[in-house]
Amino acid sequence: MSVLTGIGEFLVLFGTVFYFISTLGLIRMPDVYNRMQTATKSVTLGSLSTIIGVGLWAVGEGFSIAWLTKTIVIAVFLLLTNPISAHALIRGAYKSGIPLWEGSVVDKYKEHLEGKEGEE
Amino acid sequence: MMLKRILAIFMILIIGFWLAKGLSGIPFGADKMLVGKYYLEHVKDQTGAINAVTAVVVNYRGFDTLGEVTVLFIASTGVAALLWRKRRERTAKMEGSVVLTTGSKLLFPFIMIFGMYIFIHGHLTPGGGFPGGATIATAFLLMYLAFIVYEIPHKGFEVTEGLAGMSYVLVGLIGLVIGGYFLFDWIWQTWKLGTIGKLISGGFIPVIYTIIGIKVATELSGIVDNMLKEEVKE
Repeated sequence: MSVLTGIGEFLVLFGTVFYFISTLGLIRMPDVYNRMQTATKSVTLGSLSTIIGVGLWAVGEGFSIAWLTKTIVIAVFLLLTNPISAHALIRGAYKSGIPLWEGSVVDKYKEHLEGKEGEE
Repeated sequence: MMLKRILAIFMILIIGFWLAKGLSGIPFGADKMLVGKYYLEHVKDQTGAINAVTAVVVNYRGFDTLGEVTVLFIASTGVAALLWRKRRERTAKMEGSVVLTTGSKLLFPFIMIFGMYIFIHGHLTPGGGFPGGATIATAFLLMYLAFIVYEIPHKGFEVTEGLAGMSYVLVGLIGLVIGGYFLFDWIWQTWKLGTIGKLISGGFIPVIYTIIGIKVATELSGIVDNMLKEEVKE
């Protein structure tokens, strides 16, 4: 068992713990926006660490370096696409009129939209 | 209403029981390979490909793939015929946010390259023409959804689609001339081009999969384009 295997195993464990935390957040959070927050942030971090961990683990176990290259490509792709999809989903949710949690205090975006309408 | 639902569930349960009873006759894990063994043992020296699935789909059972390509072509033509009207335009109301449009613009070439990678390496890695083509069509779908004015060059796409379909048949016809039957793998069987496991190998599998990939990509993009447009009142 080499150092790379150890690092890979640790990263996979780290990522799966983050997966668990984010699914917990999906159940625990009160409204769509808070849920999206947990579902994107921690899942992206968890995925990155799991995917790269698998690559390092495979190299440590004596598989070819191609594993690590592929996992890095997948991780970069995920890192770039996940925030964009989350942004589009949240924007779509807001535009279709899904309300914020009743405990929220500030809605600057609504003020901005209303201010824009007043100008026109 | 309630009675109807209960009857439907009852019928489905009976059908499911019959199917399960029929399937229970087949033991899992037993060696049932008759033709499959032949494919696995001869795929390398007969086709030059490592991916046995694409070798079976393109080489051993090429007519099936030709039929599938035809089905897709008919689907695309059928959609175009059903939705045919004189003046049709995109009627999207809301522009996507800056993050979305910039992100789609940035991702578009990467998705295209990845789709091409899938169909060029059909004989080496999982995938082939159909997944690769669908991936490229996804790139066009992304552009359609992110921008309200985006439109593919329609005429060019249809011509490319037809040319790709024709070249598939043409490759098969060259096989008919050289080897004596339709879809004969002339590149591998008579030339023995390339070494097994490298990019240049696999006979005509990469050639045909490139053609199929281009065809599927243009077809699915055409279907997306047709379905996103609406009739405009003059």
